[in-house]
Amino acid sequence: MPNANVKERMSGTDVVKKRKGLMVTPDLCIACRGCQSACKQWNKLPGDKTLNSGEYENPPNLTANLYNQIHFIEKNKDVGIDWLFVRRACMHCGEAGCMDICPAPGAFFRTKEGAVAYDKEKCIGCKLCLAGCPFDVPRFDENDKISKCTLCADRISNGMSTACAKGCPTGAIKYGRRDNLISMAKTAEYKIYGENDLDGLGVMFALKADPKEYNLPKPTYNAGMAVFDSFLRPFTVLGLGAVAAGALFHYLTVGPKDVEPEDESGKGGK
Amino acid sequence: MNKMIQKTTAYERILHWSVALSCIVLLLTGLGFLYQKELGWLNTISGGVHMAHSIHNWGGIIFLASLILALGKWLPESLKWSREDSEWLGMMGGYLSKEKHPPPQGKINAGQKIATLMFIIFGLLIGVSGVLMWLMPAAKSSMNLFHLLHSISAFVYALLVPTHIYMATAANPGTFRIMTRGDVPLYWAKKKHPKWVKEIGAE
Repeated sequence: MPNANVKERMSGTDVVKKRKGLMVTPDLCIACRGCQSACKQWNKLPGDKTLNSGEYENPPNLTANLYNQIHFIEKNKDVGIDWLFVRRACMHCGEAGCMDICPAPGAFFRTKEGAVAYDKEKCIGCKLCLAGCPFDVPRFDENDKISKCTLCADRISNGMSTACAKGCPTGAIKYGRRDNLISMAKTAEYKIYGENDLDGLGVMFALKADPKEYNLPKPTYNAGMAVFDSFLRPFTVLGLGAVAAGALFHYLTVGPKDVEPEDESGKGGK
Repeated sequence: MNKMIQKTTAYERILHWSVALSCIVLLLTGLGFLYQKELGWLNTISGGVHMAHSIHNWGGIIFLASLILALGKWLPESLKWSREDSEWLGMMGGYLSKEKHPPPQGKINAGQKIATLMFIIFGLLIGVSGVLMWLMPAAKSSMNLFHLLHSISAFVYALLVPTHIYMATAANPGTFRIMTRGDVPLYWAKKKHPKWVKEIGAE
């Protein structure tokens, strides 16, 4: 499954020349959260009410109104702490679990830049995409419609960079052609998270340390759910038809169990 | 006129119609909106895929509520198990041939007991998982589980429902009356449920 359908999956995207993406370098992030604000501004998303949890991370996770969030990781040191900042958002996977599992035709679609975008009108709110996502990204708005980062599909299709990359003052989020981003990060001697996993992530991380240090999951998606779903799908309908056909067959061969008024043995038919 | 005896109360019949109708609506809307590529035409009946979704969600509440109310009425009877029930099951209730006749059964026979238990177990699973995936805040791991339980129970129901409808109508003439009028002729009850007739002393 992974590689056979790459061309089909990426249909409409010229993978080598056109696929756009982001390179996130947590080492450069100063947690100003300019990207959070820029994203909200461009996508016209209202603020969420949050509670003071005693940490600087705010809001604590992605919401239907927050497509892009800076996750704060505090690691204890001998003196003080290490602070790691990781951007959480849709990773725009090549092999996208959400697209595979979605039962609504056209609700998810891939833009020619390779982003995973969606049409809320076609979303039916079944939330299967959440089950299919390896990164726990999909969120649902007040109408139960999918709500997530689109890689600013409306901006990048017009040649602009994403709002988050534009709002980033340190270059921790860089937007560009995916192959350029990879070679730049490699030149700077970073290890790249997501270069080839899941047919290449649209959003990659340039790291010096182990991805686990940054709470980044192993980029694999449990295809089992999607496979099971597509396996069970015909059986629900076939089973219904088979039982109905079986009933008709039984009626025509063995026949119904009639009880006649004169048959009053009263011994259960023995 | 044949002597009639009452098998179900009006309350039970109303609950059964409520579960039955909501179940069929849920089946049609659920298949329609989840399997749009294959069965999208079903949504025409409900007036579009989004309407099908709303009908499915609210219909689910009616189904679950009626099922829970009905459960109290039907669970105790279906948990009674005797030697005759095992014998009944051994010969598949005599449904596979004209000659074989099962041993005397209580108010409901072994097959009906198993069907009732399956309807209750998978009905609760499909109802509760459905409500949770609708109303719970999105959380990846549980969403996975709810969808899985919902699909499995839907598959079981797709087998149970047509079987149940056939057995209670065409396969056993006279049975459907239990769902409409609630009473059955005494001779019919003596033949189908002799132990029950003895129990209530209607002989």
